[in-house]
Amino acid sequence: MSNLSFPRPRQSEVGERLRAEVREFLDDFDFRGDPHTASVFGGFDPEFSEALGARGWIGMGFPQRYGGGGYGLVERYVVLEELLAARAPITAHSVADRQSGQLLLRFGNERQREEILPRIAAGKSYFCIGMSEPDSGSDLASVRTRATKVDGGWLVSGAKIWTTNAHRSHYMILLCRTSPATQERHAGLSQFLVDMKTPGIVCKPIVNIAGVHDFNEVHLQNAFLPDEALIGVEGEGWKQVTSELAFERSGPERFLSHLGLLEEFVHVLKRQPSAEGAKALGRLVAHLATLRRMSRSVATMISDGQDAALHAALVKDLGTCFEQEIPEILRLALQTEPDPNASDAYRAALAHVVLNAPSSTIRGGTKEVLRSIVAKGLGLR
Amino acid sequence: MDDETREMLHQTAASIFAEGPSDLWEVLKSVGFDKALVPESKGGVGVSWAVACELLAIAGKHAAAVPMAEAMIGHWLVDLAGVEEIELPTLGFSSLSEPVRLTRTGDEWHVGGALVRVPWGSACTHIVFISEGPEAQLIVVARDASGVSITPGHNLAGEPRDDIAFEGVVPHAVVPAPFESNSLQAVAAITRSALMAGAIERALTLTVDYANMRVQFGRPIGKFQAVQQNIAVLATQAAAARAATEAGSEAIDDWIAGENESLMHSVAVASAKIRTGEAAGEAAAIAHQVFGAIGFTEEHELQRFTKRLWSWRDEYGNEAFWAEVLGQRVLADESGKTLWRTLTPAGSALELGATR
Repeated sequence: MSNLSFPRPRQSEVGERLRAEVREFLDDFDFRGDPHTASVFGGFDPEFSEALGARGWIGMGFPQRYGGGGYGLVERYVVLEELLAARAPITAHSVADRQSGQLLLRFGNERQREEILPRIAAGKSYFCIGMSEPDSGSDLASVRTRATKVDGGWLVSGAKIWTTNAHRSHYMILLCRTSPATQERHAGLSQFLVDMKTPGIVCKPIVNIAGVHDFNEVHLQNAFLPDEALIGVEGEGWKQVTSELAFERSGPERFLSHLGLLEEFVHVLKRQPSAEGAKALGRLVAHLATLRRMSRSVATMISDGQDAALHAALVKDLGTCFEQEIPEILRLALQTEPDPNASDAYRAALAHVVLNAPSSTIRGGTKEVLRSIVAKGLGLR
Repeated sequence: MDDETREMLHQTAASIFAEGPSDLWEVLKSVGFDKALVPESKGGVGVSWAVACELLAIAGKHAAAVPMAEAMIGHWLVDLAGVEEIELPTLGFSSLSEPVRLTRTGDEWHVGGALVRVPWGSACTHIVFISEGPEAQLIVVARDASGVSITPGHNLAGEPRDDIAFEGVVPHAVVPAPFESNSLQAVAAITRSALMAGAIERALTLTVDYANMRVQFGRPIGKFQAVQQNIAVLATQAAAARAATEAGSEAIDDWIAGENESLMHSVAVASAKIRTGEAAGEAAAIAHQVFGAIGFTEEHELQRFTKRLWSWRDEYGNEAFWAEVLGQRVLADESGKTLWRTLTPAGSALELGATR
């Protein structure tokens, strides 16, 4: 299956210089103290986001006239993986940086770009993604939230769910229907840039099994969006969303979320060496090394303008399954009990990862959906 | 080597293996694949390890019963050590119970002890191995030398894996080894990764074709979501095996280009054998599940691939062996402040997975 081969990742000298700079910057922080940062993307810290923005490390791929650094994807990748590996609190700006900004850059109108991209790049503008709906979940073609054309804009009604950070985002990228569903399931969908302060929008918190409030249910009741809120072309929402998903699926956040736990495991193992521990560590490092190569290869493909949707789906499936395996392998390699309130950093991290692990194969596309994309790529569907 | 030459070599290999002539090994030798790693000036093809491993992956894709990996390493090794040309070298590793002993009386060397599971030991002309210890010697023994006894054996796929005992054998050559024995094991392990990556890809192709053709309950089984999901997992394993192998083979090239440390300490090499071995087991299990009973018969071709996968993953160190090597190597590293920084040295041209 030659279409499943991954091109050799490109090494960037500029990127490697950036790596050293980011490390120097990160040396002034210690993110190990907070057990919550042992998992997922670290914390939500506007001050830290602004500090990164000031260094030019957000919106790196935006053209300079929109406040970006004019870097390539490969350089952005280096900075992102360094931040993730250090457990830096980048949750506030990460969605805007990873996908919303890219979307506006590709499909947004000039006013949207001029107004918003510089604020994203400065680490001052946060985004949430309004894709899933109650009863729709992974089946985006079935979204029912509806935008009705009125004079000077649109009236939107419906509900979105599992919307991460909706309660503290400035904008939502909303996927909704602008014309009724037809035989062609993916037709009639459009994307809008929604200011979260728009009257008629209400966020209801959903607390997850780890006791954390990231998710929300977002209700839109006759919310008025001006004409210029439309992103790209009316009815082309599906095409735009799928290009957005390649960015979302292949990145290092799909296999580095739990690196913090692995780091804590190494600390423990250095104090209490064991052959079994070394074996568990070695196996996980082998997976990590392979995933990183594949993920960097996808970044190289995207930056070369190649279609990487299939490769991205494959990396996300492998990456998120790996993330779920980490706590399962480590708990058997070292007898201990997970406890979110433990003073011991390893036990606290283990607890946090055990509780968060189920989400990795759900968010950003379930493994079943990803595998059906792969099956299609193999000619089985 | 430019991309065009590389592409041409692959085309040549792919068409030879696909045709599968009865004298396959003679044909492969005639185009120089046994000496692919020997410089052109010495009568070889002079490819890099990255290219050689792609050729091995093609061999694996065809379950070719030829000693291509052993000949490639053997010729490369004897050339590096400056031993004159020999016809068909294979590799040996010392037995734990009867380690090979090299003794010297005046000008004459004698070899005693045993090598275990030597691939194609009975088919080769010479056995090449490296003695353990700081002053490692490369030893070449002619298979038909006096004092050599061979106990034939096979792996699950029927490939020769022979035990070879030496008693007072006068070696064909003894020269200072170009590197230590465990680096040779690492090189050999990567050849198994490459063969496995190819065999897994073939198992995937066979499985997809079968799922599209075989009808059950009124439609091709490939239309059933449960079957599709399993085959998609097989595909992810194939892709991971290939990517891991490529990183591992490039690490050998980097190591040759100037690293002194044992190749056994390369993150990429260990990762390749671990990841490919794991993929092999998972891929074989899924392929057999999709084929059902027919794939479990001796006459079906699937077993030519799966039996090799089950053999190769245990040769030159299984996943557990390499996982411990890799884990200990990471734990011993104090140069990076964290695991991540150990694996990804800043500002260097190296990447996670490269040697160091």
